[in-house]
Amino acid sequence: MTDSKQATGVAPRSFNWKPLVTNQSSILVFVIFVLAAVFTVYSGGKFWDIAVFNNILTDWGLVVLLAVGQTFVVISGGIDLSVGSTVSLSGVVAGVVMVNWMHLDLSVSNEAAIAPLLLALLICVLTGIAVGLVNAFLVNTVNIVPFIATLATLGGAAGLAIIWSGGMPLQGPNFYGLVNPIVLGGVSLSPFSFIVLVSTITVLIAGLFLHRARFGLYTYAIGSNAFAAKAAGINVKRHLTWVYAVSGALSGLAGMYAYTRLGSGSPSSGAGFELQAIAAVVIGGTSLMGGSGKMVGTLLGAFLLYEVQSGLLMVGMDPNWKQVIVAFMIAGAVGVQGFNFSQRRK
Amino acid sequence: MKRSVRSLAVLGAVAAVALTISGCASSTTATPTATTEKQLTIAFVMGAESDPFFQAMKVGAEEEAAAQNVKLVWQGDPSHYDVATEVPIVESVIASKPDGLVLIPTDPDGLQASSDKAVAAGIVVANVDTHTTDTSKAVIFITGDNADGGAKAADAIAAKIGYKDGESYDVVVGLTSATATTNVGRLDGFKAQVAAKYPGIKIQDVAYSASNPQTANSNVSNWLTKYPNLKGIFAIDGTNASGAAAALQAKNLVGKIALVGYDAYPANVALIKAGVFTALIAQDPAEEARQAIKAIVNKIRNNEDPAAHDVVIPNVTLDANTSAADLAKYTYVAN
Repeated sequence: MTDSKQATGVAPRSFNWKPLVTNQSSILVFVIFVLAAVFTVYSGGKFWDIAVFNNILTDWGLVVLLAVGQTFVVISGGIDLSVGSTVSLSGVVAGVVMVNWMHLDLSVSNEAAIAPLLLALLICVLTGIAVGLVNAFLVNTVNIVPFIATLATLGGAAGLAIIWSGGMPLQGPNFYGLVNPIVLGGVSLSPFSFIVLVSTITVLIAGLFLHRARFGLYTYAIGSNAFAAKAAGINVKRHLTWVYAVSGALSGLAGMYAYTRLGSGSPSSGAGFELQAIAAVVIGGTSLMGGSGKMVGTLLGAFLLYEVQSGLLMVGMDPNWKQVIVAFMIAGAVGVQGFNFSQRRK
Repeated sequence: MKRSVRSLAVLGAVAAVALTISGCASSTTATPTATTEKQLTIAFVMGAESDPFFQAMKVGAEEEAAAQNVKLVWQGDPSHYDVATEVPIVESVIASKPDGLVLIPTDPDGLQASSDKAVAAGIVVANVDTHTTDTSKAVIFITGDNADGGAKAADAIAAKIGYKDGESYDVVVGLTSATATTNVGRLDGFKAQVAAKYPGIKIQDVAYSASNPQTANSNVSNWLTKYPNLKGIFAIDGTNASGAAAALQAKNLVGKIALVGYDAYPANVALIKAGVFTALIAQDPAEEARQAIKAIVNKIRNNEDPAAHDVVIPNVTLDANTSAADLAKYTYVAN
């Protein structure tokens, strides 16, 4: 038997494991499975249940919409702190229209609620776009840094939600069946409910826009070097307007998600979710410096957040440990980003 | 395209500013009646201002302020029931030197220093709903009877599940915060009543929602999976009640699990007749606010202390047997 090296003059290449184990998404998948195993063992097997995954995905479905919009914004070099308040505001605006103006109450339910809920969806998304355009105006025209601009709209939107709702949840038409696993021809599609399916499809479309379309290319370019992007002929301000509008629209869609889940437009339904969205984005591997990141990371990062939340409750641990665990995940994610960056520079 | 996008952005910003201004104009600060007395300024500072309980309290506060020639300054974080967000607001209010301060502390120790600082600055302080650890320097402390409310909740759950000695029943409790004295008081009252009269009821878990109904909804959904034989849920405040009600409706468990909530939000009161809620424990937040402002005004203008330092306003249990008139009377009025 001849030596392959003697025959060809080229040494056989061994499999390079390094990119696989340092790839952020690979690490996230590994962590997800390890945590699932740990939670299953310590919950006496209760965690490994389709109903638990239904609960995780129901929580994931709202935050992933916010995180997807946040991904575009962060890759472009900005940040959007207003997403949580926009969830509250859009749900309240829809509630005001349906309950206060059209006098539709909770007795309008199931199939009879489809038409009003479609109207509510339109209202929520338009409200979100309006907030997004305000953000874009503050960033592009008034030249306020995104952190401060969106901090302002965070407060403004939260305040308006309280004022217009009178501080109370507005209970209107509802279709709780949309929150439950889909049943097609007698077959359950658990853990996917209608609203989770909508979120999943939205994430997939957003991923295509980010990674396959010119929109995504321009977003990365602006986040990497806005000056160079402008010199290359990209209308940076117009593109950023679209980016913030998309984030706002997705926040509005999340507001409709929250309304569907609660059966009401509540002024506090989005409270704190901006931090969940940013955590999902960072854990998913998107750099807050801009110019890099992947949608699949965001999807996995958001899933990990709610796997931890559900898991802690199922094993009976104090839910406040979630914040500690998330802090470690964020630190770990940033550490991996830094390692990968240093490897690329070598 | 460029011009239309920019125009749209400008239009959106102008619309938001206009709506904000109209919102500010429409949000009421009390318009005092004309009297010869000097107008007093009383600040009202709470945790999550969006909580409908506090919004219902605002209705009573504004009514009493108008009647007493008081300028009411209403302050609080929009959505976070948190000492970290409340302390800076209280400090700012103290710096503005109001005549009186109605404080709803999110943490009994965390707000103690600020409360003492207000008193030292000559501001008359009242505590409402929750209280600082030491209320001796406050002119009055008014609250609903939280322990009684928790006990009534235990009674309502036991009645719904058909409690029998010797059997075991799983229940869970949803709270907003581990430190808010109202939550702690209600939970203690619930536990005490369970221990005294319903030893077969097992409190399997408690979880916190930080005044977010979605978090409450998520907690209940996870509990329904973890405890397949769950018999009762005590949702210890209004936002927990809203989230829990939605979770039971989504899972088609209406009427199968006893759900007792707290605070008579109009949306939740409507769900009593629908069978979603076994009962709601209703407080009277408007009356708490009225009495607090009255006590402060009396102290400043007449140098009189209230007849009692600690005032407990009774709760009412609203259930399917409550008359329509009483339901309307105790439902919290939106501001």
